[in-house]
Amino acid sequence: MINKEDTISKDMFAPAHVDPSKSEKIAKPSLNFWQDSWFRVRKNKAAVVSMVILVILIIMAFVGPLLTPYAYDTQNTKHNNLPPRIQGLENVHWLPFDGTLTRRDGNVYNAYEVRKIDAYYWFGTDNLGRDLFARTWEGTQVSLFIAFMAALIDMLVGVSYGAISGYLGGRTDSFMQRIIEVIVGIPNLIVVVLMILVLKPGIMPIIIALSITGWTSMARVVRGQVLKYKGQEFVLAAKTLGASDTSIIFKHMIPNMFGVIIINTMFSIPSAIFFEAFLSFIGLGLQDPHASLGTLVNDGFVSMIAFPYQMIIPSIMIALIMICFNLVADGLRDALDPKMRD
Amino acid sequence: MAERKKLLEIKNLKQYFNEGRPNEVKAVDDVSFDIYQGEVMGLVGESGCGKSTTGRTIIRLYDATGGEVLYDGINVHGNKSKKQLKAFNRKMQMIFQDPYASLNPRLKIADVIAEGIDIHGLAKSKQERMERVYELLETVGLNKEHANRYPHEFSGGQRQRIGIARALAVEPEFIIADEPISALDVSIQAQVVNLMKKLQKDKGLTYLFIAHDLSMVKYISDRIGVMYFGRMVELASADDLYRNPLHPYTQSLLSAIPAPDPISERTRKRKSYDPASHNYGDNESVEFREVTPGHFVLCSEKEFKQYQAQSK
Repeated sequence: MINKEDTISKDMFAPAHVDPSKSEKIAKPSLNFWQDSWFRVRKNKAAVVSMVILVILIIMAFVGPLLTPYAYDTQNTKHNNLPPRIQGLENVHWLPFDGTLTRRDGNVYNAYEVRKIDAYYWFGTDNLGRDLFARTWEGTQVSLFIAFMAALIDMLVGVSYGAISGYLGGRTDSFMQRIIEVIVGIPNLIVVVLMILVLKPGIMPIIIALSITGWTSMARVVRGQVLKYKGQEFVLAAKTLGASDTSIIFKHMIPNMFGVIIINTMFSIPSAIFFEAFLSFIGLGLQDPHASLGTLVNDGFVSMIAFPYQMIIPSIMIALIMICFNLVADGLRDALDPKMRD
Repeated sequence: MAERKKLLEIKNLKQYFNEGRPNEVKAVDDVSFDIYQGEVMGLVGESGCGKSTTGRTIIRLYDATGGEVLYDGINVHGNKSKKQLKAFNRKMQMIFQDPYASLNPRLKIADVIAEGIDIHGLAKSKQERMERVYELLETVGLNKEHANRYPHEFSGGQRQRIGIARALAVEPEFIIADEPISALDVSIQAQVVNLMKKLQKDKGLTYLFIAHDLSMVKYISDRIGVMYFGRMVELASADDLYRNPLHPYTQSLLSAIPAPDPISERTRKRKSYDPASHNYGDNESVEFREVTPGHFVLCSEKEFKQYQAQSK
């Protein structure tokens, strides 16, 4: 056995030098809130894929109509009800882009050859011979515009209303909350129908109708958050320092609820799209020749059996947008919610 | 002791919540005391007895239901112009209890500390502002690099020191420390208390130190007030209070301090306090009376004579 005294002698040790100025050092790189959140969003594959799809859809909504030689509102009745046909893909049988249609008796025929038309309509044409490719992207553009406007107004009105209501408290708060309850009590559809009676049908009445009723949930959420932060010590500290009410709300409270606000907005976008599609579908939406995804589905729905592509393509678009927004919102909620922070 | 300047006079301060309703709470009920320039006044009592509410009412976080708070002879409460309020905010500051809740998680430390500087326009340029922030960080024992970090990167003790730096940024004369150490662990408590003591010496600050840790209060305070159910029951110099506690509640409170000595700890007897033991009659007036100079006790006339006899 080796003698420990011999192998480890006292003079092998020296006191460690501790630099007091370094003892408070933090080694971890400084990440701010957004960097930290982005780090966590990236881990969520579904959210990232959805984000990519959404970006592509948004770009296509603007670029798409320029890619075809046909305008979304040009009618060509000789070319009506043509199925989708894409150069290069027309010979691939299992793809629905070969320009063939199925008769009721099961016969498959190529509509372009039968009618002797030498043209390529990528998504086909509708019953007036308008190019569905242009119309679909045009409709996506309109639907997204309505959704974003509705979400933006929700955000502005809802956040300020909720913040004021929660911050002032007392009688003002209960009064403002009763107003919300009255608004919530009126069915959405009635407001929209009334708006369309008063205004000319189009984008505006839909946006107005959505913003009259849409902001209430945001206002409630923000009010709850403000109530939560009102008693927090950092807000009290700002008060004792003499900060004004506006700076307390905008500097201390709202940045802390960005997560909640963004999530709420992200969830209100798909519901606005869906509501717009629903209105268009029941005939309260945009008027021809303008198109939204809802009106396209509505038009295609008429000849669903004979020309299924007219309904399926815009339906896929709606479904895609809604699923992607929901998944992104879900991913953002996981990333921004401080309670999930590990 | 009369030659010492009274910095703060609190007269019959009352803070009731839900006033006039069945669930009325008398959080602070007719409390009067003075705080002298340059002293540390400790305020102790059990949880929920109104210590923090007293502190918050003094600094106007709550509007007082009744009574006056005179700072340098000027009433703090009542309608004030913005300018008066700002001047007052600079003189009086507060250190909060929970270091995890008292810093805005979305602001960088530099912005947290500089908030007071920005509000009161104490720095003329951005560079001056940052220099002031660095200076404050060094005062509380942190370094420059910490200015660009976020609160969640700091430990409890570090955050509490940032909270102190924030309060110091406006160069106050009087600081209310609302249980500044109760959320910290023991080794860090000493660090923060020593920092506060050092700052007091260097800058000539006056503290109102609210706590429920009696040994810590004795260590830092010159005078101590004991609160019970919204009322001040005893007020004396720290030594006097520990040597000669008169009010039965104070005695009970002092008997609860554990001694770090197993032998004396075995013989330590806890006294419990029962408010009914006073047996106050209906027409007896229970007031805050000065038993010996500087030693006040909440008592009836009969008890007063008894206490005086005891203290001789």
